[in-house]
Amino acid sequence: MTVRRKWAVIPGLFALAAVAVLLSAYQGAATRPDTIITDKGAWGYSAASSPQGRSPEQPIHFPHPTHVQTLGMNCLYCHYSANKSTDPGLPAVSTCMGCHLAIGPKRPAMGDRPAFESAELTKLQQYWNEKKPIPWVRIHHVPDYVNFPHMTHVNAGVTCQTCHGQVQQMTQVYQYASLNMGWCVNCHVGNVNPAWKARYDCSVCHY
Amino acid sequence: MTENSAPSGVGRREFLKILGAGSAATAAIGCSSDRVERLIPYLTQPDETVPGVSTYYASTCRECSVGCGVLMETRDGRTFKLEGNPDHPLNRGALCARGQAAVQGLYNPDRYRGPMIRKDDKLVPATWTEALQLLSQKLGEAQSAGTAGNALFINKHESGSFPVFLDRWLADFGMPAHLSYDSLADHAVLAANRQSYGVSWPSLSFSAAKLIVSIGADFLENWGASVPQQLDFADARAKLEDAPRFVYIGPRRSLTGCNADQWIACKPGSELAIAKALAGGSVESAAEASGVPAATLESLQKELAGAGRSLVLAGGSGAGALDLALAVNALNRQLGNVGTTVLPDQPITSFEGIATDADLRAALERMRAGQVSLLMLRGVNPLFTMPRAARVPEAIRAVPFKVSFSSYPDETSELCDLVLPDHHPIESWGDAQPLAGVISLQQPGMDPVYDTRQTADVLIDLAKGNQRTAARYTAANYMRWLIENFPGGTAAFTAGLQKGITSGSLPRAAAPAHVSNAPQAPAIDDTKGDFYLVVYPSPTLGDGSGANKPWLQELPDPVTKICWQTWIEINQQTARKLGIDSGDILHVETDMGELEAPAYVYMGIQENTVAIAFGQGHTAYGRYAEGVGYNPGNLLPVSFDAASGSLAWTATRAKVTKGTTFAPLVTTEGSARQHGRGIARSIPVDELPHLEMEHEEHDMPGKPDQSYLPGLRSRMAADAMGEVGDSPSRFQKGMYDPEHWSGMAKRRWAMTIDLARCTGCSACVTACYAENNIPTVGAPYQTTHTAFLHGVPGSNILKGREMNWIRLERYWEGGEDGGEFEPRFVPMLCQHCGNAPCEPVCPVYATYHSPDGLNVQVYNRCVGTRYCSNNCPYKVRYFNWFGYGEPARPQYAWPERMNWQLNPDVTVRGKGVMEKCTFCVQRIRESEHRAKAEGREVKPDEFTTACAQACPSKAITFGDAADDEWSVARMAQDRRAYHVFHEQLNTYPAVVYLQKVTHPAPKSAAGA
Amino acid sequence: MATVVSPSPDSSPNIPSANIQLPAIQSYTQVNDEIIGTLRPTGKWFAGLGFAILCMLIGATAWTYQIYMGLGVAGYTPPVMWGVYIVTFVFWVGIGHAGTLISAILYLFRAGFRTTIYRCAEAMTVFAVMTAGLFPILHLGRPWKFFYLIPYPNWRLIWPQFKSPLVWDVFAILTYLTVSATFLYIGLVPDLAAMRDREKHPVRKQIYSVLSLGWRNSDREWRHFARAYLFLAAFSTPLVLSVHSVVSFDFAMSLVPGWHATLFAPYFVAGAIFSGIGMVFTIIIPVRRWFNLKKYVTINHLDAAAKLCLFTSLVVGTAYLVEFFIGWYSGSEFEHSYWWDRVFGQWWWAAWIMLLCNCVLPLTLFSQKLRRNTTWLFMLSIFINLGMWFERFVIFEPSLSHEFEPWQWTAYAPTYIDWAILLGSFGFFSMWFLLFIKNLPIIAISEVKEIVPPPVRAPHKVEGINVSGMHLEFEPETPGERD
Repeated sequence: MTVRRKWAVIPGLFALAAVAVLLSAYQGAATRPDTIITDKGAWGYSAASSPQGRSPEQPIHFPHPTHVQTLGMNCLYCHYSANKSTDPGLPAVSTCMGCHLAIGPKRPAMGDRPAFESAELTKLQQYWNEKKPIPWVRIHHVPDYVNFPHMTHVNAGVTCQTCHGQVQQMTQVYQYASLNMGWCVNCHVGNVNPAWKARYDCSVCHY
Repeated sequence: MTENSAPSGVGRREFLKILGAGSAATAAIGCSSDRVERLIPYLTQPDETVPGVSTYYASTCRECSVGCGVLMETRDGRTFKLEGNPDHPLNRGALCARGQAAVQGLYNPDRYRGPMIRKDDKLVPATWTEALQLLSQKLGEAQSAGTAGNALFINKHESGSFPVFLDRWLADFGMPAHLSYDSLADHAVLAANRQSYGVSWPSLSFSAAKLIVSIGADFLENWGASVPQQLDFADARAKLEDAPRFVYIGPRRSLTGCNADQWIACKPGSELAIAKALAGGSVESAAEASGVPAATLESLQKELAGAGRSLVLAGGSGAGALDLALAVNALNRQLGNVGTTVLPDQPITSFEGIATDADLRAALERMRAGQVSLLMLRGVNPLFTMPRAARVPEAIRAVPFKVSFSSYPDETSELCDLVLPDHHPIESWGDAQPLAGVISLQQPGMDPVYDTRQTADVLIDLAKGNQRTAARYTAANYMRWLIENFPGGTAAFTAGLQKGITSGSLPRAAAPAHVSNAPQAPAIDDTKGDFYLVVYPSPTLGDGSGANKPWLQELPDPVTKICWQTWIEINQQTARKLGIDSGDILHVETDMGELEAPAYVYMGIQENTVAIAFGQGHTAYGRYAEGVGYNPGNLLPVSFDAASGSLAWTATRAKVTKGTTFAPLVTTEGSARQHGRGIARSIPVDELPHLEMEHEEHDMPGKPDQSYLPGLRSRMAADAMGEVGDSPSRFQKGMYDPEHWSGMAKRRWAMTIDLARCTGCSACVTACYAENNIPTVGAPYQTTHTAFLHGVPGSNILKGREMNWIRLERYWEGGEDGGEFEPRFVPMLCQHCGNAPCEPVCPVYATYHSPDGLNVQVYNRCVGTRYCSNNCPYKVRYFNWFGYGEPARPQYAWPERMNWQLNPDVTVRGKGVMEKCTFCVQRIRESEHRAKAEGREVKPDEFTTACAQACPSKAITFGDAADDEWSVARMAQDRRAYHVFHEQLNTYPAVVYLQKVTHPAPKSAAGA
Repeated sequence: MATVVSPSPDSSPNIPSANIQLPAIQSYTQVNDEIIGTLRPTGKWFAGLGFAILCMLIGATAWTYQIYMGLGVAGYTPPVMWGVYIVTFVFWVGIGHAGTLISAILYLFRAGFRTTIYRCAEAMTVFAVMTAGLFPILHLGRPWKFFYLIPYPNWRLIWPQFKSPLVWDVFAILTYLTVSATFLYIGLVPDLAAMRDREKHPVRKQIYSVLSLGWRNSDREWRHFARAYLFLAAFSTPLVLSVHSVVSFDFAMSLVPGWHATLFAPYFVAGAIFSGIGMVFTIIIPVRRWFNLKKYVTINHLDAAAKLCLFTSLVVGTAYLVEFFIGWYSGSEFEHSYWWDRVFGQWWWAAWIMLLCNCVLPLTLFSQKLRRNTTWLFMLSIFINLGMWFERFVIFEPSLSHEFEPWQWTAYAPTYIDWAILLGSFGFFSMWFLLFIKNLPIIAISEVKEIVPPPVRAPHKVEGINVSGMHLEFEPETPGERD
């Protein structure tokens, strides 16, 4: 090829590099989830530096559907301070045992389901007998420089599912929303539900 | 904040089951969110607590023997902040720096983790069973051998039931009553008060007086009950025109002296003569003895006679201290102050039953003579607090078996054979009787941090284990014992716990029989040396028990502004004569020993006198105390004011020579002069009537009558908001629009600081450290790995890197030529300017102005260009030069367990970001959230900042300046109001200072 | 019959800078040979490069340590929040100004003496700006977050604060770097072509031919080239003034006494050009000796440049005087205080080093003897570099250490980390420059050829007169050459 064509490559390379830089910058350093969930969560603010979709193994496979859908338990029964504290509250082992002292690992046959021994309940009993708390793996996490008061959101009528997804259907909980700042702001300015719009000043969350 | 909920006592065991969730705050900025984090639930849900919501337990502060009421803010099983109990009659919600720092004693990384037993001459960890077995065996031996009578129990003095319980227990084991010791107590004054009034400490009414004369009585520091005294003194000064004039007489101008309108320098040892003169005695002889001009004394004598209600106080501990105190009491009676300003009928009972220094010395003599077979120590450190000449180690070694109940490894406990670490007061049950008829209760805020046990419980267990005494000890533990013996029983007790106080009187331990065979100190002029040596307890470290708490080490001495160091104060003129400059090493030598430390050239000290603060120079007291400063106790002889049995701190003269070397002073002070910049302003009281409020009209189009209000937006800011110009709708104002749905712009958070009240005690500074997770940077271990001054304590502060969001600036006015000078204190913090210079220069919006008038710093947005600090005229922005918040870094400011104190509401800043005062935005938001949850607006004065809340002078007022319901809005309209640098720089600060008011000597006394 | 003009007997002619001749240069081939001849790497050169890289590594190590430990390892003493790094940043940006001045502005002014030194100066510009560009990042508390300063759509939904001079800085520096780099490259194209034609080594030939953008030396190309060059010159001329003005806004926009001055923009620009020319001397004098290019960079070139240097020095001196005058005239307590502190207070030594190096010593250039004495010029240029570094030091540190709040008055002392990183910056700069001088012609071959008499076929021998009727008789040495 002639010299004339050769040098035409250079601007092309520059252009490519520029595009690449912009894209990567826009995407941010996205940490890949342990398991990819196709549902990208609400309003698409996808994955920039967010472990969205992350769904780690829990020490006990707690079946939310069974408790919420089958038994119709309220979220607030276990996450008891979500409506009165910044901290949503994590059920004490005693709370589990409140029922599971009666409902032990040995599950009788029920309808067409044969009797079986629940491995998970056995684990639960172990923890209780050894007086050890259950080391749950944290999934939804905002950095320490973000102050997220649960009660204010819950009392404002923001449903748990808005941020945590349809937990009542999740056999294994995963991070539903990206939880990045744009995602927060988008809701605060009222794009999601005008009724939910809230102060979007930095100092409302960052201090 | 939540009301003080009633703890039932049971169920608190569960508190500490939580581990992970609470410690989230210890992680630093920018830590990646994808590391596996565990959520650890409670095993059993404790009653009465909601995770993430603070519970406040009312208790009693045990840092000194006064016994102020505190509220322990506890969340998720951790007490992380002490606040004054507003319902407590003694401290009315205020709390001093040492009280604030108690939590750092609780979480101190160097505390004993558990019991220790001496094996082949060193203390090794042991189990409680072993330890208790050993002690009960020793007790048994003592009883069987009949040597129990030779046992000795020395306890840190405290009022309340414990001394009674202790004496009863000792009696049951056939042991003599315990020695209740407090090295800070002013024994001479106590003795004199007992003689004159029959009570140890009458409460003093400063506000009732027209003239206050203090002869060496540092009532704002360690003399008596400092917090209540300061509260009352500040109230008195706040009366402006009717405020009392305050004259301070003494060889050294202490913090108290710095708050006086007039300081009369006198020779050490001449106080008595002056007191006599004031009482009408011969002025000439007094002048001759004290070196004070006769005219000054005469005018003061006249003034005192004509003042009507006055208040004369005496302090000082030299030879003849008792005579001085008696003379002053007599003078008060003669002036008719008893009953008006001196109130023996409302005594402060905290000091009843204190053993004197002489008693302790007698005990030491007995030990040395081998007459003590068993020694038990709790909370006292005589090895450090007694002069080295007392040869305490020798005495202690002479005792065959020594038991220490100390929580911390200190000089004394290191010598003991058995250490049974006591609970920290925040972990213990107890009570106190600070005032007649008032019981102040003490309860644990949380489970023990380490494997310690409350001494009272240990004693009960021992008694139970002993067949002779078991019968008399039925109570399960000390808490039960307290309830059983509590006046009014369980009901009264639990009711009292709600507020932390209840009325009633506790039985009092038998008053100790004071020995009076102590060696009488010679008149100071008869001692060798060319300089008088004045040793005084440090206002921040007390008797040295505060030295292991970094907040107190980092808190600059209120007068000299020096921290992490021992310095030698020397008079300006004398220094000039001897060619001594600040920082030159001085060599001080007495018959007892010698000491070398850098000089601090000070106008506020008598000529030919050197003063050294007591409290530094520990050899064994943990990482924060060891290797910091020197102990002036090594210079003191063991001589007493025999009559009162108080150790003579001002006992000897010393030989002072200039060393060859130089050591920079670790001070936070740049220039001690204002250079006429009007930062700390004061006005003589007689000019007060003519004072007009500085009133700045600036007409804003659209807002015609916008007169000056703190924190309101400036014209330019308003312009940026589109409020200026013909079409205000030019700009989208967003939340900055006062009509915005969020209503955020309706509020203007602002603060007023009344310099007439401020005494410069610096409690606000420590409160701020406690509330806002501010790192301390001066500890010896933090100064390694830095590129300069490797390992010198406080070398980061030498580099100006202290992080005090609120600092107390202390400026001198006049006195360059050795004449009279006026100290001025001004707390300097972020002014939250309406037109802040720092905001437009930040390239990333990390600092900006919030709609509600805060100057916000967003840590996670900050990249650390530090331009904001360059552009801040007040220089109140602080930069994280090192990873103070990162455990992996050598400068980590919260070594393990200290990080349990971190406030979960406040981000711990990582390295490389700017930080500054936030007006306690976390408290603002918290109360807003609470108000929202309760469906209401934030109530006026509903909450306040940490500094305002702690201030023992009530000088700081915080609130919404745009709403007249808030007291700050009224205060900001005071005629004394002014703003620092506003005239020159147009910054529109949200902090309003109210001028200090001085009370010059009456014209008759001119020439004084 | 053409007139024969004999050279003036004056032994030290004051040659007007407009038409400096290169009498010793005879033919184009000589130019090609001698200039391209300098490109052969030598042992000394490798040694120098090695040393430069070593220095750079020292700086890099220091920076790594600083990132790990935090900025505290540097000498910052609050409230002195900007130290050696910012001083050095402004120093390098300043250095970067002479190049564009010489290549662009003097080109427009048709100043002949620029011809042989501009390439060197321009390379210096590019590398100096590259070096300067490191420091704003390097002095950040959290350098890994520097991209917060760059406006791009992001998931945080926030932008930089465009009111902040620091953001303007980012744009100014990047623009300047781009333009000056382009300018340098365009000027290089014909020379690259010349090198391509001489190059034997296939790989190098390939590289050169790509870089020379297929230059064929055609008349059309020359026309476009001239237009492009003229355009870029005109384009970068305002930048010379604007960039350093923006840099000066970093300080002038604040309210720090001693920074808050309307004078700053021209003051900084003058200072920048002054320091740049100083650096040009520092570089060109050894180069012309080592590469023995004396007949290209003649003493007359240096003479002319020295005059420019003297002029800018006088401008800078005036700026100092005005600054001090305002300090006194303002009547503001703060201005008085900082000024006194700066000149007679704790910082007197820095201030007087600055005044000596930047105002007093350059006055010697009034003497032609010294102007034409390369040894002295070299020494002076070192003093000027030092003085200009201290000028920035004197502007920043005393003001910060002596601001409004007396309680926070302080001192400032850099630590070995600061010095190491300063050294590293010189290493970084030298590395690039050394690589440049051995890989690309340090003197613009094509432009030199424009001065050299073209090879014309002469029908009959004309004694001493060339076609342009210009006198060609000369002594082998230009008069006044003394080194």
